[in-house]
Order: sequence, then structure tokens, then C-alpha cells
Amino acid sequence: MVFILGVNFGEHKLVRKALESFYALGPQTARRILAKYTIHPTAKIGSLPPKTVTALTAELSTMTIENDAKRVVRDNIARLRDMGTYRGRRHAMGLPVRGQRTRNQTESARRLNQIERRG
Amino acid sequence: MHPTRCLLKRSVWKGPHIVPLPIARHKASDKIVPIRTQARSATILPNFVGLKFQVHNGNVYHEVTITEEMVGHKLGEFAPTRKPFIWNRK
Repeated sequence: MVFILGVNFGEHKLVRKALESFYALGPQTARRILAKYTIHPTAKIGSLPPKTVTALTAELSTMTIENDAKRVVRDNIARLRDMGTYRGRRHAMGLPVRGQRTRNQTESARRLNQIERRG
Repeated sequence: MHPTRCLLKRSVWKGPHIVPLPIARHKASDKIVPIRTQARSATILPNFVGLKFQVHNGNVYHEVTITEEMVGHKLGEFAPTRKPFIWNRK
């Protein structure tokens, strides 16, 4: 068990997968971080020396991930809402924002498009 | 108006969509006279800030006061064109 940024990961998890489990950290950024600390893409968490683990935690704490990234999204939606734009209004109604049809199949919009967006 | 049009950005070499609007005339008089327009696709430029527009939505003109954060959006984004569906509206 290894802690990276306060999250517990198993020994046999890929480092790449562990990094990608953070919100707003995708395959591209994960690959870049692996390259920066010269970790092989197929390396497992257990094979990391403790120094690298602390370095990774330090690196991740400087990035806008998890709650910071979610707040950025929420702020953007709130800005649109406060301005009174069409996009803001569609978010508030929980309907598709980009001109999709609304006759049926608006599941993603109903789940995600909110002023206080969770996902 | 579809916001995709603003999100999938226009080519840089074209510049913003500038529509000749009667703005210069407004500056002579100190009272703010709303500018009535049907140009919903006109990009809001920095010199529009503080002006009042009446943007057409196909039926009526919606009054919009331009603030600083609206720059870069289109006028049509602030004038809704659709009537919300309400069951049994007489």
C-alpha cells in the first residue's frame, strides 16, 4: 500500500492507472509525469522507490486536479449563468447545451448539466 | 443560437465577426439609448461595454446591458429564442 496525495493505492496497480484515477488528470498528462520522473509506462506502484513517491505527491499537489479542477468547471458554469447566456440557462435546466436534440436520449445532460456540476 | 459556433472557434485570420452597428451615434448624446439590432451573430467587442442593446429573438427585442465579461460572446446568446414548454398553456 502506497499513499500518493492522500489516496491509498495497491502495490500491483500500474503507476499510469493510479495517476489517471485523479480527476482532471488524463492519459496525456499521466504519460508526461511518468516521463518527467523516468518511470516506465508499465511500472507498478510497488516498484517505486519512496523518494519518487514523495516527488510524485509534491508534483500532483501543485497541479489543478480533483476539487480544484471541479471548482474551475463550476465557476465557468456559474459565470455563464450569471451573464444570462443561453448556455448558462441550458445548464440550469439540465438540458443539452450544444444544440443537440431533446426529443429523447438526454441522459448525459440530465446527469451532468447543473449549476453545481458534480461530475 | 447554438453555442457550438462560439466554442469551435472561428479562424484567427478572419478576426471577430464585426457587424456595422450604430454605436458612434450614441456617444454624442449622454443618455443611454438602446441599440436595436437583429444582428444576433455579432461578436461583442470591448468597446460595446456599458452599452444597451435590444437584441431580436425572432419575435420581440430583448434588452441586454453589456458587461465586461460578455466580451467575446455573441449578442444572440443573451436573447433566448425558445419558449419553455408548459403543459396546458391556454
